[in-house]
Amino acid sequence: MMNLLTQPVGLSHYLAVSAVLFVCGFLCMATKRNILGVLMGIELVLNGANLNFVAFGSRLLRGGTSDGLGLDGQAIALFVIILAAAEAAGALAIALNFYHTHATVDVDRAEELKG
Amino acid sequence: MSLFDFNDPQVVLTWLLSLIIFLPAAGALLLCLVPGKDGWCRGFSLAVTAVVFLLTVWLALPGGQGGLPGRFNLSGDQMQNMVCYAWIPSFNIFYFLGVDGISLPLVLLTSFLSVLAMWASWPITKHVRAYCVLFLLLETGMLGVFLSLDFFLFYVFWEVMLLPMYFLIGIWGGPRREYAAIKFFLFTLVGSVMILVAMLMLYFASDLNRLTLDQLIACRVIPPLGAGSTALVTPLASSHTFNLLALAQLGQSGGSPFQQILFWSHSLSWWAFVLLFIGFVIKLPAVPVHTWLPDAHVEAPTPISMILAGVLLKMGGYGVLRICYPICPDAGYELAWFVAGLGTLSMIYGALAAMAQSDFKRLVAYSSVSHMGYVLLGIGAWSAVAGSQYDPHYWQMAMNGAMFQMIAHGLSSAGMFFLVGVVYERVHHRNLDQFGGLFARMPVYGGLSMGIFFAALGLPGLCGFIGEVFVVLGVWSYSKVLAVVAASVVILTAGYILWTIQRVYLGAEYKGPHAEALKPMSRREVAIAAPLLAFAILFGVYPQALWNYITPTVNKTVTVMANWTANVKDHSPAVQEPIQP
Amino acid sequence: MTANSNLIPSLLGLAWLLPLASFVLIVFFGPRMGKAGKHAALVATAAIATAFALSFAALVLWLLQNPLSAPNPGGHAAERVAAESAKALSGEWYALGVFGPLRIGIGYYIDSLTLAMFCMVTFVSSCIHVYSIGYMHEELSEVVDPLAPLANGQPLRRRGRFCRFFQYLSLFCFSMLGLVLAGNVAMVFVFWELVGICSYLLIGFYRERTSASNAGNKAFIVNRVGDFGMIIGMMALWTGMGTLSFGDYRAVDTAGHRVTLPGIFSQVRPAETKHQLQVPDGMVKLASRPQIERIVLAHRRDTRTATAAIAGQLRGWRSQGLGYGLLVVAGLGIFCGCVGKSAQFPLHLWLPDAMEGPTPVSALIHAATMVAAGVYLVGRFYPVFTPEVLLVVAIVGCITLFLAASIALTATDIKRVLAYSTVSQLGYMMLALGLGGWLAGILHLFTHACFKSLLFLCSGSVIHACGTNEMPRMGGLLKKMPYTAITMLVGCLAIAGAGVPLLAVGFSGFYSKDLIVAQALSFRASNPPFGGLFFYVAVIGAGMTACYIFRMWYLTFAGEPRDEHIHHHAHESPKVMTVPLVILATLSVVAAWNLFGTGYGLQPLLEQARPVEQSIAHGVFLPGVTMPFEHEAHVPQIHTPAELVAFLAALIGFVLATAFYGVRKWDPEDARRTFAGIHRFLVHKWWFDELYSFALVRPVLRISGWVAACDQRGIDWLIDHLAISVAAVARFDDWFDRLFVDRLVNLVAQWTYAVGLRLRRLQTGNVRQYVMWLAVGTVMLFVVMSLYWNLALAAGM
Repeated sequence: MMNLLTQPVGLSHYLAVSAVLFVCGFLCMATKRNILGVLMGIELVLNGANLNFVAFGSRLLRGGTSDGLGLDGQAIALFVIILAAAEAAGALAIALNFYHTHATVDVDRAEELKG
Repeated sequence: MSLFDFNDPQVVLTWLLSLIIFLPAAGALLLCLVPGKDGWCRGFSLAVTAVVFLLTVWLALPGGQGGLPGRFNLSGDQMQNMVCYAWIPSFNIFYFLGVDGISLPLVLLTSFLSVLAMWASWPITKHVRAYCVLFLLLETGMLGVFLSLDFFLFYVFWEVMLLPMYFLIGIWGGPRREYAAIKFFLFTLVGSVMILVAMLMLYFASDLNRLTLDQLIACRVIPPLGAGSTALVTPLASSHTFNLLALAQLGQSGGSPFQQILFWSHSLSWWAFVLLFIGFVIKLPAVPVHTWLPDAHVEAPTPISMILAGVLLKMGGYGVLRICYPICPDAGYELAWFVAGLGTLSMIYGALAAMAQSDFKRLVAYSSVSHMGYVLLGIGAWSAVAGSQYDPHYWQMAMNGAMFQMIAHGLSSAGMFFLVGVVYERVHHRNLDQFGGLFARMPVYGGLSMGIFFAALGLPGLCGFIGEVFVVLGVWSYSKVLAVVAASVVILTAGYILWTIQRVYLGAEYKGPHAEALKPMSRREVAIAAPLLAFAILFGVYPQALWNYITPTVNKTVTVMANWTANVKDHSPAVQEPIQP
Repeated sequence: MTANSNLIPSLLGLAWLLPLASFVLIVFFGPRMGKAGKHAALVATAAIATAFALSFAALVLWLLQNPLSAPNPGGHAAERVAAESAKALSGEWYALGVFGPLRIGIGYYIDSLTLAMFCMVTFVSSCIHVYSIGYMHEELSEVVDPLAPLANGQPLRRRGRFCRFFQYLSLFCFSMLGLVLAGNVAMVFVFWELVGICSYLLIGFYRERTSASNAGNKAFIVNRVGDFGMIIGMMALWTGMGTLSFGDYRAVDTAGHRVTLPGIFSQVRPAETKHQLQVPDGMVKLASRPQIERIVLAHRRDTRTATAAIAGQLRGWRSQGLGYGLLVVAGLGIFCGCVGKSAQFPLHLWLPDAMEGPTPVSALIHAATMVAAGVYLVGRFYPVFTPEVLLVVAIVGCITLFLAASIALTATDIKRVLAYSTVSQLGYMMLALGLGGWLAGILHLFTHACFKSLLFLCSGSVIHACGTNEMPRMGGLLKKMPYTAITMLVGCLAIAGAGVPLLAVGFSGFYSKDLIVAQALSFRASNPPFGGLFFYVAVIGAGMTACYIFRMWYLTFAGEPRDEHIHHHAHESPKVMTVPLVILATLSVVAAWNLFGTGYGLQPLLEQARPVEQSIAHGVFLPGVTMPFEHEAHVPQIHTPAELVAFLAALIGFVLATAFYGVRKWDPEDARRTFAGIHRFLVHKWWFDELYSFALVRPVLRISGWVAACDQRGIDWLIDHLAISVAAVARFDDWFDRLFVDRLVNLVAQWTYAVGLRLRRLQTGNVRQYVMWLAVGTVMLFVVMSLYWNLALAAGM
């Protein structure tokens, strides 16, 4: 088991940061009752994933063995960002409507569609 | 190769035969699509049947080989006017049509009776359009059965004819029509299934490679050399065949593939014969599978009874003559006693049962059973055996008589059913004990009835006599006992016919209900009954008119059987000499 | 043959077809011929009269070509044989059916018998046609028929059917002439049936009367019973000989050559055997089928040796008697047809009932021509009959003769007396033919035709005048109807056989009856033990004939009128009816005479047609029977006693009738009371109707009822129950489906549903909870995956 703190910054560090980000986002989603909080958690999760993509995609970090441009990770990250933006727009619209109809932003109150 | 090259006689022939079969069906389709009143439907259907009749008349006009296409060569004993196209080549199924002296008279009878029956349908007012459509489909089926030479095609038409008949009885019939229609349908279907099984048995046992090139060409398995430009026959793709002529050649050859033992120590040929025979004999009908007939006749409307008695029953006889005997001669030889015995039994049984009826139509129906018995007896009288030195002439006479009887019965029974219908339409009952005095009230009707009933009685000078006497005279050489028993039927026939005439036509006055409705026959009715009587007289006085068509083919069929008995069965060359020293 | 000889068939053919033309004309235009079809009678009469003229011309032509030999009715048969056999014209007009060497056609066989029959039939018919114009005139206007009551008790009123009557008469004449002309058995059969149907139509002419239509049915059906036998005979002949033609005929053999093949007569009596009876080869072969089969199968390789072997064996088989039975069957079968048509013993019932028809019909069909056709056919078929068959013919004739004469003694209906008399006389003819008296039988046919048609027409005249058939209501008509009475007396004398014995002068019946009795005596002489019976019956029959016929005459014409009303209205018939009576009466006297000073007459003419004579033949089955030559009966030792005994018997009969009914010396009532049992037996016609009804008709109807029931309750029951049981199986199937198959499927669905219900609870709608589950689920997935990963890696190592 190597000690991350003693190592030069490499892939593992990126992964560690992204994992932290991911877990933070996840906890945020799981614990926040405010719908906006949940949305923020989602953003965190997505960004954690983005960091992963970029880190894996970087030729520098993987040791330059890849052929091709090495832009795969970045490209996917861009996709994710766009998706996140779209998703945020949709989600915010839902949140706004929800607020209009229920006069609250508490996700625990949104349970009319349960089975 | 073009189907529109009308300079090619083969193409003209194809069109002619196909038109005969499918014109009614096309008419039915048109009737479905084009709107019109009831009267228009009837008129149109009558016109279609009339055109078909004219086409069949063209087919029957005598003419030699090399004359106009489609004309019949009277001296030819072979299949004529054959057309053959591949239909489902992967199973060796062909669109194979042709006529000979056995099928041609029946084709003519069918188209003729169709015209009369359609004309007799005028009083039908319920769902006229549907009636006409079904009627025309029925005609297609009937003509197809008589014209097709491919077993599969034959079977298809056999089934095509079944369904319209079911509906025609079941919808337009009398009070118990549903019972009668289902009974008819089930009986015939049982027969059909047996035919189907036998057909497949024969198909899979057949092996075309056993036939010589000449035989293959004669059976049109291979197109005739030089003239084969239009016949689209593929080369021998597989050795199985549905070709009836080829199957007959195979069945008659020594060491035929059909002679393999199937089970219970009987050959495949034997089993096929039995299955086919039961299938056909249900249609004929013979005792004990005849009970659908009285019910179907009693319930069916008059024109359908005419068709049923006049044409459908003949299909049974035709099947036995065309398929059973040529393809399975050894079984026919073994079971000749059964065939002839069954015919005699039907004759006696039908006559006795007719005597006990009080329903006019039922009586006529049973008389049909009795009369069709002659057909079986004549076909089954296999007297060309070693004991008679393979003399085929008596069997020829009997089988010719049987064939004549089919036509004669087609005319007389259709006439009788029509006449029963005429009076039923007026008084709405058929109870023989409630008639009487019709002669005085409807003189023309009485006269026509006498003529047609006497034809059924077998009076000389009318068509029934020739068939019956020739069958009976030809049978003695086969079996004295059967001949004597068969001859005794003349007494019973005279009994029930005269008794019927007495109860219906003679007497001082009419005893039943609706006496005021007994008006003389209309012109239409006279015009339907009179041609039937005219033909009954013509064929009774001048039977040559029919013999010219029938005899060469039937004689050849019998001669082939006689030679088969001598050469294949007994392994000795046939003796052909007149019986005088 | 010369050109003239070809003219004879044409003449007769024309004479034959003329009535047919008349029939067709009347069928289509009858009602339009004059008022109410009045002129139809002229058409029909003209046709038949012309036919008579043509027949007579043909006869003259024939006699010019074939002059009669010496008028010696007993000439030596054996000498004539060769010449005789050529004296027949035969040929075919057209074929009904041809199958190789077998052919059935419409042809002719003409010898002097044919010609004599033609002349007789056309002549009697002409007389009767003329008579009918008067007799049937009521049919010209509306007819009131009291014998056909309606349901409301009123007598029936109907339109007259004058032209229809003549239409049927013409059809009958055509059929009858065709029957006589026929050149083969099939053609005989064709016209046999046609005369039968004409008889049916004419008996049932008053079709409104139940009794008439019943009588018509009875006549036709009883005749059909006879025809059934005839068909059997035909089948035996046809299969045994390969032909039905009487004379030799032309055909095409299998090689395509035109050949002349022997007809029935040449086959049964070939020239090689000097025209002795011989079983034809075909019949021998037919009877030896098992032997032939063995030979053919033994010579499989070579047909020629097989044929030769069979030909070699033929003589042996024949001498074993093979095929003789077939010849007997053929003869008996043909005779069976004759029994039906000529109303002989077991089938005699129909003729008396046939009197329901108009009287001219009774005279023409049921006395002179059609019923005599059976006798004619026996005469025609004579060469084919074996001694056994002839003996049967004689026995049947003998029984009939006695039976019918006895019933005639008690009948009170004038026409029924004559009907039974006809049956009895036909029995006489059969008896004569069966005993070897060919000429006797055939001559009696001709003389009987004359006097019996006369008697019937006279009775018709009486009925016409009185309006009843019952003799007890007549009497004393002699003065009222002199022509009828006198002509009828002539007929009675003729039938009784009046004449001067030893001088050989008498009425026509005298000659024929003497010949018959003499032949019976001659038969007795050659077959002593039982042969006498025929002779005694013939003599007793002669006595009875005289008795019943004079009884009838006395009851009708003599004595005091018994019914004033009828007597008052009675009147002599018009000329159109009496003239034929006078003509026929003349003929009844002279028919059997030879033309003065020449050898020409009926007897020599018929003698010319005599078939080759039955020799002292020994049947195979009955070797003791001997049929004597007919000329043996003409020697004085036999002829004179026969003549005297017959005369005496007739005289006794006449005296008895005169005593009872003429001078009323004795009262018939006394006799009736004394023999009450016999009288009842005779009045009930020996209970034959009842017997047949009980033994034949009702059983057949009962069987037909059973058969119909078997259909409806047997076969249909089976079929219906088959259908019902199939339906039951279907219902079981349905039940099984519901109970097991469906339940299984439903169970699965229910389980699924229940599981769904449970799982539903997980769906709380709480987003945060979902996220938790997501996390937990992912982690669990990873745990499981890693577990398997390791295992997979381990396996990969």
